[in-house]
Amino acid sequence: MEGLVTQIQGLSGTASDVLSLQNLLKQADDSLHAESTRLPPFLDQLDPSKHSLGYLYFLEACTAGPVTQEQASSFVLTIARFISSCVAEQIRLAPDKFISVCKRFKDQVLLLEEPLRGVAPMLTAIRKLQLSSEHLTALHPEFLLLCLLSKCYKTALSILDEDIFEVDQPRDLFLYCYYGGMISIGQKQFRKALELLHNVVTAPMSTVNAIAVEAFKKYILVSLIHHGQFPTNLPKYASSGAQRNLKTLCQPYVELASSYSNGKIADLETYVEANKDKFESDNNLGLVKQAVSSMYKRNIQRLTQTYLTLSLQDIANRVQLNSPKEAEMHVLQMIKDGEIYATINQKDGMVRFLEDPEQYKTCEMIERIGSSIQRLMTVSKKLNVMDELMSCDPLYLAKAGRERQRFDFDDFDNVPPRYNI
Amino acid sequence: MDFSVVNQALSSKSFHKMADICDALMLQSAAEGVPFRHEWPFVLHLLAHIYVDDVNSARFLWKSIPATIKESQPELVAAWKIGQKLWTRDYAGVYEAIRGFDWTQQTQLLVAAFSELYTTRMFALLQSAYSTISIQDAAQFLGMNEEDATNYVLQQGWTVDPTSRMLTVTKQAIVKEQKLDPGKLQRLTEYVFHLEH
Repeated sequence: MEGLVTQIQGLSGTASDVLSLQNLLKQADDSLHAESTRLPPFLDQLDPSKHSLGYLYFLEACTAGPVTQEQASSFVLTIARFISSCVAEQIRLAPDKFISVCKRFKDQVLLLEEPLRGVAPMLTAIRKLQLSSEHLTALHPEFLLLCLLSKCYKTALSILDEDIFEVDQPRDLFLYCYYGGMISIGQKQFRKALELLHNVVTAPMSTVNAIAVEAFKKYILVSLIHHGQFPTNLPKYASSGAQRNLKTLCQPYVELASSYSNGKIADLETYVEANKDKFESDNNLGLVKQAVSSMYKRNIQRLTQTYLTLSLQDIANRVQLNSPKEAEMHVLQMIKDGEIYATINQKDGMVRFLEDPEQYKTCEMIERIGSSIQRLMTVSKKLNVMDELMSCDPLYLAKAGRERQRFDFDDFDNVPPRYNI
Repeated sequence: MDFSVVNQALSSKSFHKMADICDALMLQSAAEGVPFRHEWPFVLHLLAHIYVDDVNSARFLWKSIPATIKESQPELVAAWKIGQKLWTRDYAGVYEAIRGFDWTQQTQLLVAAFSELYTTRMFALLQSAYSTISIQDAAQFLGMNEEDATNYVLQQGWTVDPTSRMLTVTKQAIVKEQKLDPGKLQRLTEYVFHLEH
């Protein structure tokens, strides 16, 4: 053990030394695990900021076994300090070990019932593990979980704003998008929530998984809140399993959506009351209530399609509100949130609906359109690269070769009828 | 605990930065395992979120505060009352909550700044949403008595009809930049190139 420590201290200087060190460590890994209880004092002899790789191997072996409550607090501190001082290049040589250590860190933080303690270290860990900001690691969902449990929704948004193009494990993506959806809902960013939940329900899956089912329930509700409607069918690129089964597994929500589309708030409220327990046990009752109150907005928005002006009393009647004052407050809120263009005339008790004043001529708007175009161009380039890579992929070519008969002769002229590797 | 960063933001009147500063400091302290909650300036933290109109974060912060701390700090409860009124959109109630407590000197700075900002925001809302509004309602939205409210809006260019007690809104025309600069030409070239290939 002491010999190993000396070697770590000696071989952590240059990149090539570190690679030789890695081989030594891999060979010593089993014995490290065997002597895990003896290891903690050796950690003090190593400097996490210089000997990151060696420290990681020792730390991973130390934390592999069961941890008691007393040990948890000191381990949490040790790991947090390690994460903040370790060298990214070194720990990236052993990503699986780093991920294991961080996951145990999360478990211990939760054991101590202090999720807030884990938020900043987990964020640092992600930044060190990631190869770029487009890379989704196994630590992303852990980070979002800690944010959810400690109610640090705003901190989570900084990660959610980054576009992801590379994923290590599909399961990470499911959880990341599901938790991300929940956080976006908490910050009332429904468009983003919809995007993330959409990714979960349309992701490739050979069998429907529990995350997708829960995501689908929220997806329906957020769709109602944000768009005022729910599309009856999933897009064609969703997996066949999802298309066949998700709706049956989320029956109460699908029925809620169809009640919503009838536009009668009293019926909707009755349905919600009757099925309250189901929504509550799914922890979705709050979201359901938001969906119900979004109906007033929807109904008022619909009025703008038919009327230029309407009295507050008329609005109250048509939308089933109790008084013109209530209607006024609803319209005021919608104007504030930019969901409607209108002015209220208290003298006559009328509301005048207006056109969107945006002329799309200002410099500000040009900047916005410009940056959207830039983003689209970046995505387009990436898609071209992916397309090229996939065209050379043997599995893809084999499948295309097998299904050749279904396609036009000209499309697959170059692929032999049977493609065997 | 070292709160100098927070105090500095407060004394330099960088109120809009305080929420981020407090969040970052809290995460840092928590990561070090230091029990910080009994010393933490939750009142300032909460009001900092309210100042930048992030009622969601204020709400989550409130939920995460232990009950014992809530019970021992009446100023904290009073600060949350402002957040509550904002959350339930009780526009007039916000002013009542602001005035309903004798704030400590430090807190008073932030509360006063927020009150001014809130009145400005409310006025902007009234200006965009109403063509005519009663003096009574305007006074409620602006947190002033009817006479002060009338004078405030008259200074901004509105007109008043004393018999019907109605105010007529005059919108200020906002001129937005519409000139293009030649740098955009480079970008347009890139778009066309991209579309051609």
